[in-house]
Order: sequence, then C-alpha cells, then structure tokens
Amino acid sequence: MPKKRSLTLVISLLVLLTFSCGLLYGCKIDKAKETSKTEGKKTADVIKLAGGDYGYLTPYAHYPRGPGIFKMRLIFDSLLERDEKGYINWLAEKYEIKENGKQYLFTIRDGVKWHDGKPLTAEDVKFSFEYAIKHPMVSSTISEKDIEKVEEVGDRQVMVTVKKPSAVMLSNLGTSRIIPKHIWEKVDNPKEFLDKEAVIGCGPYVLTDYSKEHGTYRLEAFKDYWGPKQRVKVIEFIPVSEGILAFEQGEVDMTGVTPDVLQRFEKDPDCKIVKAPAFWGYRMLFNMGETAVFQEKELRQAFCYAMDKQDMIDKVQRGAGVPGCAGILPPDHVMYNSKAKQYDHNPKQAEELLVKLGYDKLENGVRVNSKGEKLSFNLLVGGEVRLAEIIKEHLGKVGIEVTVQSVDGKTRDARVQDNKYQLAITGHGGWGNDADYLRERFSSEKKAGGGISPNLMRFKGYSNPELSELLEKQFETIDENERKKQIFKAQELLAEDVPEIPIYYTTGYTVYKPAKYDGWMFMFDHHSLEHSKLSYLERN
Amino acid sequence: MKGLRGAKLGEYLLTILVVVTLNFLLPRAMPGDPFLFLSGEEAGDIIVPYSEEQREQYLEFYGLNKPVVSQYFSYLSELCRGNLGFSLYYNAPVSSIILNRLVWTIFLVLAAVLFSTLIGVALGCISAWYREKWVDKSLYTLMITISEIPAFLLGLVLLFTLAAGLGLFPLSGAMTHFADYRHWWDKAYDILHHAFLPVTALVIARLGGMYLLSRNSMTTVLAKDYIRTAQAKGLQKKRIIYRHALKNALLPIVTRIFLSIGGMVGGAILVENVFAYPGLGLLMRQSVMYHDYPLIQGIFLVVTIFVLIANFTADLVYGKLDPRVGQLGVAEK
Repeated sequence: MPKKRSLTLVISLLVLLTFSCGLLYGCKIDKAKETSKTEGKKTADVIKLAGGDYGYLTPYAHYPRGPGIFKMRLIFDSLLERDEKGYINWLAEKYEIKENGKQYLFTIRDGVKWHDGKPLTAEDVKFSFEYAIKHPMVSSTISEKDIEKVEEVGDRQVMVTVKKPSAVMLSNLGTSRIIPKHIWEKVDNPKEFLDKEAVIGCGPYVLTDYSKEHGTYRLEAFKDYWGPKQRVKVIEFIPVSEGILAFEQGEVDMTGVTPDVLQRFEKDPDCKIVKAPAFWGYRMLFNMGETAVFQEKELRQAFCYAMDKQDMIDKVQRGAGVPGCAGILPPDHVMYNSKAKQYDHNPKQAEELLVKLGYDKLENGVRVNSKGEKLSFNLLVGGEVRLAEIIKEHLGKVGIEVTVQSVDGKTRDARVQDNKYQLAITGHGGWGNDADYLRERFSSEKKAGGGISPNLMRFKGYSNPELSELLEKQFETIDENERKKQIFKAQELLAEDVPEIPIYYTTGYTVYKPAKYDGWMFMFDHHSLEHSKLSYLERN
Repeated sequence: MKGLRGAKLGEYLLTILVVVTLNFLLPRAMPGDPFLFLSGEEAGDIIVPYSEEQREQYLEFYGLNKPVVSQYFSYLSELCRGNLGFSLYYNAPVSSIILNRLVWTIFLVLAAVLFSTLIGVALGCISAWYREKWVDKSLYTLMITISEIPAFLLGLVLLFTLAAGLGLFPLSGAMTHFADYRHWWDKAYDILHHAFLPVTALVIARLGGMYLLSRNSMTTVLAKDYIRTAQAKGLQKKRIIYRHALKNALLPIVTRIFLSIGGMVGGAILVENVFAYPGLGLLMRQSVMYHDYPLIQGIFLVVTIFVLIANFTADLVYGKLDPRVGQLGVAEK
C-alpha cells in the first residue's frame, strides 16, 4: 500500500511540475507584448542578427554559402550594386558599353578610401580583375575564358575588353569584388591569407570581431566611407539555437518564421511581417535520355495538368508558396512573362493527352498502351518525401503509377549528376538570378565552362533547336529591351515544351520590429532582407 | 604488472588502428563528394556552384582523386606525424578547429561528470541507508523516471522553461559576445551562467545511472559484517556511511565515472546542438553534412582516443584502488 501511494505522489508531482512550467512559459510570452506602438526607426546603434560560422570574411576565405558571401560583400564593394529593381552605379560613377559589348569602360569614383586610409585608384580595379582571373574568388563571376585584357585609361578609368560579348558580362564585371593592390599583390596563396590586412576593403563596414568556434561576427560602420551614410552603426552576429525564441527575447532583431507560427506575430502590433519573394523552389526532372517515353511532349504536359500545385503548397508548405510556372522563371523574377502557357490543375485534360498518346486502357489503375507498356515510373527524392507522396497521389488519379524512392540529399544529387534516375525532384535557390540560367539548363549546345549548380544542369536527351538558338542569342544580346523580348519568347517555348516541371516556389516570412530598425529592403533577385547592403545604408 | 600494462597498451593501439581505418572508409562510402552542390538543404540557402573544372581542381588539390589505398597510407603517415589534415570546408587545419571546440565540450563533460557523481553518490548513499523506507522509495521512483529521458530532450525542456519562459538563463552560446568584462570573475560568471543549462541537462540525464549504481554498491557493503561491527561500536551514522562504507563501495563507482566520460561526449554533442554551444557537437553534424572527410576523421578519432584514455585510466585506477585486482593480474600472467 505505501508503495502505491508514494508512486502516485511522485507521478502527480511530475505532472504538476511540467504543467506549471508550461504555464510559466506562456505567461512570459504574453508579457512581452505589452509595448506601445511606435513608428519605424530609421537608424540604429546596434543590430543583432543570427550568426553562424561562415568563414573569415575575405573574398577567398569565406565558405561558399549565402550568409558568408553577403557578409563579405558588406566589407568589400564592387563597381555595381543591387537595389530593388536592378543594378545601380556604385564604385563606378558611370560606365559605357562599347563595340556592342566587346568593351566596357568604367569611370571610377573619386575620394574612395580603403579601410586603412589609402585611396582607391583605377590601378586597384585593374589589379582586382587580373588577380581574380588568376586566383578565382569563392563566388567568382569572371574567368580568363571571358576576359581578354584590362587596361587603365587615364586617371580614373578602366577599360575591360572581353573575348565574346555577352548579356551577363556587365553584371559579372560589376559584382566582382575590388581588393586593394597594395595588400594582395604580395599574396601568392589567397586562400590561406588570413591576416588582419586581408579584410581591408572599401565597403561600408569593417570587421572588428570574428570567432570561428562561436560563429560570431561584429561589423562596425566605416567612418570614411565614400557612399551613402550607414544607418546602422554596428551589426553583431551571434549564435542562436532557436530563432523565434531568440527574437521574442530580444536577442536578435530579425528572424524567419514558418507559416504555422505566423499568427503569434500577426496579432502583435510591434512586429512587422514581410513575405519574401519566391526564389527557392522545387522542380521535377525527366530523364529523357534513359526513358524514351519522356521525350513525348504530350506526356510531360499531361504530368503538368495532373498535378495540383496549390494542393501541394497547402499540404507541404502550409500555404507559403507560389505554384510553379511552366515558363520556369518565377513570378517575382524581373523578366517573368505572365503570358506564357499555364497549366492549371485539369485531370481531364491530362487523361485526354494520355489517351492521344495511345495509353487508353487501364490495368489495375495504371494506363497501358497497345504494346502493353505501362505508365509506371520511379521518382527519386531526397528529403522531400511528403511532396513526392502527394505527387504520386495526383498522378495516380490519371493512371500514372509512381514509385517513390527516397535517399539522402547528397545521394540524390550524385545520382542526378550521373543521370541514374527516371523522375527526380530537387530543390534549391537562385531562381531569381539572371535569366541566363535558362540557357545553361536547356540549351542543347555545349557551352564551355558550364557550372554545376542547382540551376545549371547538363540536359541529356532533350533538344529543342529553336529554343537553343534563342537562348544562345539572348546570351549575346546587349540591348536590354531586345533581350527581354527574347527571354519572354524563350519562356513561351519552355512552357509549351515543359522539359522539366517547376513544382512550386517557397516563400518565407521574416519578422522584425520597426521600432528597433526599419530600413530593410530586398534586392531584386534575392529573398533575404539582411543580406542586402542597401538595408543598412541611407536611401534618397 | 608491467607485462599486463604492455599487453593492454597493445590492445588499445590495435583498437585505435581499427577505428582509424573505419573512420577513413565509412565517410568515403557515402555517396556524393564534398564539392558537389546540387541542392540546398535549407529553404532559402544560396550556394555557390563549382564548375566541372573547379571541382576537378579541388579534388586534385586535396588528393581526393588518388586511389583510395594511397590516400589511406598518406593519411596514416600524416597521422603518425601528428598532422590531422586540412578541413575541406573550413579551410583550416583540422587540429586547430577541433582543439578550439574541444575545450568547450570537455568543460561540459567534466562538469557534468563531477556533479552527477557527487549528487548521484550522495543520494545513493542516503537511499542505501534508508533502504525500503519512503525516502528510498520516492528517490528511487524519481530517479528511474528521469534517468530514461534523453539529455537533449531535457535540454529542450530547460530551454523553454527556464531560459525562454522565466528568462533566468541565456538561450544559447557559451558566453555573451562583444561584452566588456571589467574583471576576470565577471567573465567567469558569464561563462558559468551560460553553461548552467547544458550541464544541468547532462547531469540529470546521468544522475539516474550513478544513483542506482551507488545505491546497489552501498547496499552490498552495508550488509557486510564490519559495518555491523561499526554500528555496534556506536559510531555515528554519517561516519559509518562516509568513512567506512563509501570507500569500499567506491570501486564500481569509480570505474563507472571513467566509462561514463566516453558516453557523456555523445550526450554532450546532442545537448550542444540544442543550446548552440560551441563544442564538437555542431562541428560533427556539419562535417558529416558537408562530407568534410578530414574533419570527420579528426573528430571521431579524437572522441575515440578520449574514450580509450578514459578506459585505460579506469583500469589503472581500479588496480590502484583494489590491490586484489592488481595481484590477480600478476597471477594471470
């Protein structure tokens, strides 16, 4: 008898303990909301953001991931900079494109100082290009394949002659980081140059603290900065285990939130929620080289009609997404063509297409043609099993059988790389990048120096000569309006052909308190507010 | 005695060799390689793509395109010279990366071992003395319940209640960054303040085991005749427990302490992930995600060596504490 009593006593004590802890937690959060409504603050002394180790912030030592790149760019400026609409002049006061894109003449601003006080000259710009060609930076955009020569013209001008004109050359040259010649000319191994001088740039911020093991950075505004005044004096990046908790406790001033937590912040008058542009997305790949039936355009179109993209967004992303556009470029892209063909959810249409192809009979719910070939495929995914299962459901309704094969992310990448799949789903960012990635992905002409990135995949088994020609042409078109027309046409061709299906693009939500600081902005092709240099600077 | 130690040493060296080999082979058996970035793990992550040529360049630079056997032998020879290699992702020597982080993990582990031992043993002694009475029963039930809760779960609960809920402790990290400390003891207090929750999580997770062991050990000893003699002599209860019984009950506890150090590292790694504590935990997770072979090998090697040192020390200490074991060793030979 005593045994039972003490046991129940202990258990009830434990239950009470857990319950009261939960209550305490709830109370604390409610208290945090009792602040008055204030206007957005346009300056700030210190902004704290979530950190993490992304490497020492030189153009050669940071890790090849987004947060590292953008932190480094706060320290090192480039000739052009990104704002909400496109590129604006930055270190380059003005530029001229000569000989239809073969030559670029940049006029460098006067009065720019390096963090060590020395003046920036055209010599530094020339040196930066030549050094970057010899030693590619981590996020390099130029190489010796593109550039013929770089010359200094007069006091403040640099002329870059390229081997072949291309539409992306201006932005590639414009975003290449400018480094001080007087420091880097003595450096033979830039990756291992980790001295204090290595982080001397001419950008708005100076790196004062960096700890690899803690993942902390401290950036302070550079007093003699040439450009717009810094609105934020100090930016501190600190380690955070749980972003939302840290934001609520005031440890960080901005955090990303998932849709299910959104209501907590929607009701809070002090919090502002911003929806990020949809530049991260999933797509479905057809291995046309291995599975001949995928070369039939109608089959791919049938897939499109069969899939209910909004349903997937609601179930997997809890509504935080934008349905994929068959023209590949997402709606937030600067060159998005809204007139390209759209495939709304239409299972009937899908079935009609399949019947037309000869798959008119159903065998155990799977369509077969007269030769007895079934519409049954393997779908390779990494972590996106839920998405795959929903797709399987949708396709099953029109008679296409899909077997989901789930492996870990890297395995899936390796197999996609080696073309060992039938259908595959991959997810990645960068959909907002320059539309030239369409050429890298879908042109069947072999291009020298293609990159292996999520956007840029060698496409085996697919060939559309009209599209290829158009994509190769836009690469060389310097006139912006002309090029936009060509990209628009390319989207129409892609929407008709559907060589791969963009499933949906995810949108994220970011929360911050305008009373703390309200200068945040999005660059035209990026999803993160804190990555934008102009978020921290005075705007006209 | 020396011969016994020599044989033991040989055993440990063989274990290290096997572990090193496995550490070398297993990460390389994973599909994909460190320079293949086709998809982003986190929604919204931008990755810099490497072109085919760049990838080849990197693979060659790090010697990853040589045959596996030659890579293995060059790794072994480097290891004998004390060079753990160069991290592919962090661009720094593996030994320096691990060393910086190791300090924090060791700090957590040692603190957790110390406190869980002290508290566990003390409670175990009390329980053993009052065996079958309500003190014993309630302690026993409580310990059984909480000992099965994994450390990281405890960490999460503590994070939500004491840190986020009550605001008594910081949410993450090992210290307040960019703060000015006027005296060294301010900094020391800050570090202790940050370490409190992770250590508590680890202590509570280990407490049950230590408690049960000491309770059992003490019970056995307390049943012995010489204890009854001490009681008959009229010695104070405290004196009997702590001066006479505990010393003899200590044997299994001591071995358990050393053995638990090894296991504690595993638990510490998970807890570190919960609190963003800059130890080996996050490092290990990231190195596996990024296929950073030298770093993976380095971390697992270090952890293995720790466990082996702990085992070896346990053997030595045990021999010293209980002369009978030492004698037996001689007799075996």
